[in-house]
Amino acid sequence: MTTKQEELTTHIQEGVFQQSRGPIGWDGKTLKQMRKETDEISKETGHYAGLRTLPFKESDPIRFEKIFSKLRGGVVHARETAKKVAASPIVEQEGELCFSLYTPDADSIVTSTGIIIHVGTMGAAIKYMIENDYEVNPGIADKDIFCNNDNHVGNVHTCDVHTLVPIFWEGELLGWVGGVTHVIDTGASSPGSMSVGPVNRYEDGYQVTCRKIGQNDVLSKDWLLESTRSVRAVKYWTLDEKTRVAGCHMIRDLVLDVIKEEGPDVYKSFIREIIEDGRRGFVNQVKTMLVPGEYRGVSFVDVPFKDLPVHDYAKVNSIMHSPSKIKVHKDAKLEIDFEGTNRWGWHSFNATPVSITSGIWVMLSQTLAPNDRINDGAYYASEFGIPLGSWLNPDDLRSAHANTWHSLVAAWSPLWRGLSRSYFARGYLEEVNAGNAHTTNWLQGGGIGPDGELHAINSFECAASGVGASAVKDGISHSAALWNPEGDMGDMEIWEMLEPLVYLGRQILPGSGGAGKYRGGSGWQSLRLGWGTNDWTMFVAGSGHMATDCGLMGGYPGAAGYRYSALDTDLKERFAKQLPFPQGADVDPDNAEWDTVIEAKTIHRDRQTVSTEEMFKDYDVIMNYLRGGPGFGDALERDPKNVAEDINAGYVLPRYAEKVYGVAVKEGKYGEYTADEAKTIKLRAQIRKDRAKRSIPAKEWMKQEKERILNKEASPQVQHMYAGSFALSEQFTDEFKGFWDLPKEWMVYEEDLNVPTYGAHINRFKDNK
Amino acid sequence: MAKSQILAIDAGGTMTDTFIIDEKGEFVVGKAQTTPKDESIGLMESAKDALTYWDTTVEKEFPSLLAGVYSGTAMLNRLVSRVGQRVGLVLNKGMEDNHRMGRAVQSHLGYSYADRIHINTHHFDPPLVPRNLTVGITERVDMHGNMIIPIYEDEIRPAIQQLLDRDVEAIVISFLHSFKYPDHERKVRDIAIEMVKEAKKDIKVFASVDYYPVRKESHRTNTTIVEAYAAEPSRISLEQIGTKLKEVGSDFDLRIMASHGGTISIQANELARTCVSGPIGGMVGAKYLAESLGLPNVACSDIGGTSFDVGLITQGELAIDSSPDMARLVLSLPLVSMDTTGAGTGSYVRVDPNYGNLTLGPDSAGALVGVCNPEGGIETVTVSDCHVVLGLINPNNFIGGKIILSPEKAYEAVKTQIADPLGLSVEDAALGVTELLEAQLGNYLESMILGKGYSPAQYVCFSYGGGGPLHTAGYTKGLGFEDVLVPAWAAGFSAFGCGAADFEYRYDKTLDLNVAEKEDSSVILNTGKVLQSAWDELKEKVAEEFDKNDHAEDTVKFRLFYRMQYQGQLNDLEIEAPFERFNGVEDWDVLVKTFEETYSRVYAKSALSPELGYSITGAIVRGIVQVAKPKIPTEPLSGKTPPADAFLGKRKVYWTDGWIDANIYEMEKMKAGNVVGAFSILESTATTLVVPTGFEAHLDENRIFHLKEL
Repeated sequence: MTTKQEELTTHIQEGVFQQSRGPIGWDGKTLKQMRKETDEISKETGHYAGLRTLPFKESDPIRFEKIFSKLRGGVVHARETAKKVAASPIVEQEGELCFSLYTPDADSIVTSTGIIIHVGTMGAAIKYMIENDYEVNPGIADKDIFCNNDNHVGNVHTCDVHTLVPIFWEGELLGWVGGVTHVIDTGASSPGSMSVGPVNRYEDGYQVTCRKIGQNDVLSKDWLLESTRSVRAVKYWTLDEKTRVAGCHMIRDLVLDVIKEEGPDVYKSFIREIIEDGRRGFVNQVKTMLVPGEYRGVSFVDVPFKDLPVHDYAKVNSIMHSPSKIKVHKDAKLEIDFEGTNRWGWHSFNATPVSITSGIWVMLSQTLAPNDRINDGAYYASEFGIPLGSWLNPDDLRSAHANTWHSLVAAWSPLWRGLSRSYFARGYLEEVNAGNAHTTNWLQGGGIGPDGELHAINSFECAASGVGASAVKDGISHSAALWNPEGDMGDMEIWEMLEPLVYLGRQILPGSGGAGKYRGGSGWQSLRLGWGTNDWTMFVAGSGHMATDCGLMGGYPGAAGYRYSALDTDLKERFAKQLPFPQGADVDPDNAEWDTVIEAKTIHRDRQTVSTEEMFKDYDVIMNYLRGGPGFGDALERDPKNVAEDINAGYVLPRYAEKVYGVAVKEGKYGEYTADEAKTIKLRAQIRKDRAKRSIPAKEWMKQEKERILNKEASPQVQHMYAGSFALSEQFTDEFKGFWDLPKEWMVYEEDLNVPTYGAHINRFKDNK
Repeated sequence: MAKSQILAIDAGGTMTDTFIIDEKGEFVVGKAQTTPKDESIGLMESAKDALTYWDTTVEKEFPSLLAGVYSGTAMLNRLVSRVGQRVGLVLNKGMEDNHRMGRAVQSHLGYSYADRIHINTHHFDPPLVPRNLTVGITERVDMHGNMIIPIYEDEIRPAIQQLLDRDVEAIVISFLHSFKYPDHERKVRDIAIEMVKEAKKDIKVFASVDYYPVRKESHRTNTTIVEAYAAEPSRISLEQIGTKLKEVGSDFDLRIMASHGGTISIQANELARTCVSGPIGGMVGAKYLAESLGLPNVACSDIGGTSFDVGLITQGELAIDSSPDMARLVLSLPLVSMDTTGAGTGSYVRVDPNYGNLTLGPDSAGALVGVCNPEGGIETVTVSDCHVVLGLINPNNFIGGKIILSPEKAYEAVKTQIADPLGLSVEDAALGVTELLEAQLGNYLESMILGKGYSPAQYVCFSYGGGGPLHTAGYTKGLGFEDVLVPAWAAGFSAFGCGAADFEYRYDKTLDLNVAEKEDSSVILNTGKVLQSAWDELKEKVAEEFDKNDHAEDTVKFRLFYRMQYQGQLNDLEIEAPFERFNGVEDWDVLVKTFEETYSRVYAKSALSPELGYSITGAIVRGIVQVAKPKIPTEPLSGKTPPADAFLGKRKVYWTDGWIDANIYEMEKMKAGNVVGAFSILESTATTLVVPTGFEAHLDENRIFHLKEL
């Protein structure tokens, strides 16, 4: 007979399964075995889980559809109900939450509305638990609750916090339900959910790595204490967690109800078949909408860190390079390859492979497959190339990710253009979209809140950015974001309840949408006054020097960014004397009216559009610029009447009507503009003539450019960007040099550019330079 | 002898229906063309038509009417087709774009899921007030009502003058947080009124705080604009109707159905809430019927041609949504909360070419029925086509034979579009569509009830509307409702509901009263004082409204409600205060306890968060006076067997076990006490009740069928 102590020791030595029940997967398998088998057979057959046919769906399509509709409806409904528990307007008003249902081995079955990028990230977290034998330790049991927000496990950024709950039926794991919310603060080195200060993981906020935080449906005390002491804005954190747990439990009940009704075997067949069904549907969608071939694009976004108070190795002005290639195979496989992406860096804009691949579904579901059947089937129908060591796939656990959207939204914009060229070729002109705006600015800050507790804010007004133009109409203004097509700017009275900032303006910004035959959707600005601040700081994050989209088929990009804030102002006095002061938008920044009606010790009006915490008090002002989308087609082809209307509606400044659109306008009695058609015809003819005069044959232009490349005339930031791509990718280097027909010895090396190379690991030149 | 008691008017865009109900609850329906310029003309024609069924006249009957309720779509049409008054808008300077910018959510309101995520489909409707009729005036107050920037007085007159110069027909003023600090809006209002007078113009001025003193500026501003833009013009036409009714000898004050589920006078201050009267009539009727039958919890379901509407009556109350959307606008009206899904009998049925799955709706053939209607020109299969294939509806007696349907066309369409692609027989495909629709509706109904923290076993389900009873058995199957009721007079249910509505005003006010979990009694007492004074203010407002129709304050039954949440949350719950006056600390405990009971039911116990403290976010007063209401029909019980003349014969119906012979009955001829088993179809001109395998139905003494799952 063994003693209790011996028994325990034996168990630990053998790595026993919890409660000694053996594996929790199907047919006595471990989850790891299940995962391996699914991967292998899917790869081998080209069908998810090897399902060459769909016996259940084909024999009983109605019953199959009934189960789908019950699960899908229930998941959507759970999200709607649970979100009302939250206090954060990010969750409640902007809808930044999502629930998804998974197979035991972490493939998604159905997903709610919301931030569906997390279909993949929560799947990655479950896979991580499987990979690390959580069945053995800490054990996966009915009514457990797990939490994850670790970027390097495959999250988007620290503020997306996952709650994961297993679903058991008679001792067997039948699946998982995951819920995610975008929390307002994660205890990073600066406040706000997408902070700019952090440049490495250890400043990026409180990271929880797939931790068991509750048993028997109850959250553990140690978890509650530790987590609430690790973040700011605790009230929001707490209610967000209650939202996620409540939603997961509602969905678990729903699934158990379905299993009770249909039996576990039917449920098992269903969840496998619905994924293969999703794969096939997606393939058909690609066949219907796209033309086989390669679609290449590129985007850039600036990282102006040189003058920010960050670590020495991070003080670099750099550019994130995002070349991409969509390859539509003849069998309709969709391949997206980011070969040539440059090196990750010491800033909070790095991404993980899961965030880019999963995020692509957010985008594709808005255009290529806008339906409720999106699940991991679509993932099995595609292939991704994400180079290791690039900012999309850092090869260092130290990388920071807090504001990864800064670069992700830039990297996705070329994909819209690639797909749109294909839609255009097929004649789906309405589906063409010139690309997404750089959906910023992120206005963030923190300090002591009205209740005396630590508080953080993160305005989500950029959820209502301008949208790219289509090939038949203008892009819609102030309405959506890439990451949330159901965008909204929210009510000012609600934001003012949460932020010690009152509004002095909310106005459309002329010229923010890209010009074109069809104009990009306009962006706008809000202007905020410090009011009720207490130990407060503010900072901004957005695109600055560079336009991150580039317009389509002759359309202009949306306007690039800038920042405006004024500290230590004379506004108190001005208000008392009823004198003018900055209001509305900074309508014409070249002739800024604001600057004439305010005195301040410090005014920031520059392109430092990512900044770190700056002290902010009452009567200081800060502007939030929400960007516009790119345009489509040559601006000279725009109907002159629409240009005049754009002036009247505040979308375009009068002087650009002539300069950009070639439209001569005249002003009426009430300041209303009309187009002078005769003059416009002449003006446009002249512009076309000037264009022809200015132009040179492409071959000639390439020759000139090649000379500049040979002489390394590019700015240090551009050279640094390319050097980072060259060091990682031989293929990209060969393509680049081949295209420009550069001599073998020509190269730009990071080491030669007088910038820190701290943390640069992969370097194919290391040994042979 | 005149017997008419209640007049209910349903003035649609093209037809005006009148329902005249007698002392026994029996009613006649009349129809006439709507006359938009003077709606009273169409109304009189319609009433005349109705009374011909009783062989009598308007002149004879109208003096005996005890009550009349109007509901119409004129206001909504004016709003949707943007043909309202030319309104000038005064906003905070710097925020003049706010109204036309939306709320971005208005670019996808009312969209199906697929279109909500399909960004290229989004669009904004034109703003009710264009940018060039919007002016700004400098002022700012904060969320607590503290002044940050005084109103820049010099800007007021030029701003108003600009609007007057542009010939506006009404002026709306809406400043941020005005509900916390009304002085600035009222100052501008008074100056505007003065300037209008000086200019000798007839322009009404609306300050948002006088109408909707509630938080969320886009909701409040939109609603006040709707008041000026669409509701005010209706006041004139309602007065015309009122005058005409008096002229023919009636002696009652015409009331209008309003969004909060009560009726209000045509002289009411806030008329915009009568904009949404149509679809809630059924809910109000259900509430009245439920009260009469002593049922506290009722799930109401109504299937029409284009949609399935469900709403809940819980503990005898209709749920109210206080920031709803309507006509793609976010509003701050109290609206009887109803969920609508785009699945009706006219919904299109398709097989997705890429995913191979069956899809229902969200678009529909509406009144054109389906491919089976040879005159309709519809090419895509609808749910009704499947009904025809299955034999559930009589192709020769659709809407009393007004449309003769073609079973052959329906069969062919279902075959090529649905059955062949799915690899099913035509009949199985048609049955599958019906089953899927019913499963979706059942899920929808169930999730709504679960979302309230209840289970279907605690509810009775009411089914009415043209298409409802055909699917009632299907969508209630297995949910375990306490009972399932189908009034035999289901077709007139909405009008019945209008006639049965209370004469009721409801006013809301936003409050921000924060109380910690363990709070000093002085804070609690002060909170109670502020809450009570809000109730007093609203009671006065309600009393003033009733006074317009000479109802003295002591005849009004007041009910007090409060909105509560945990501090910091953005969603509150509306709860009736279980006392008549806040007197002391123990009343606070009662408010908290009542709140937490409701909260834990709705969001699960784990979501209770007393540690955050509580916020009272609003006060509500409802005032009701007694009015005449229609009687619920009663008749003596007969035997179980339906009379011979109710039996119309047999028809082949395809069901789960293949083709069977169904018994067909004429609904009107069934007697109270009759019981029918499966498979039976009970037909009337406006609706069809199906009693499928596994069910039976009996008719009670109120002419209500009880559908029982065996």
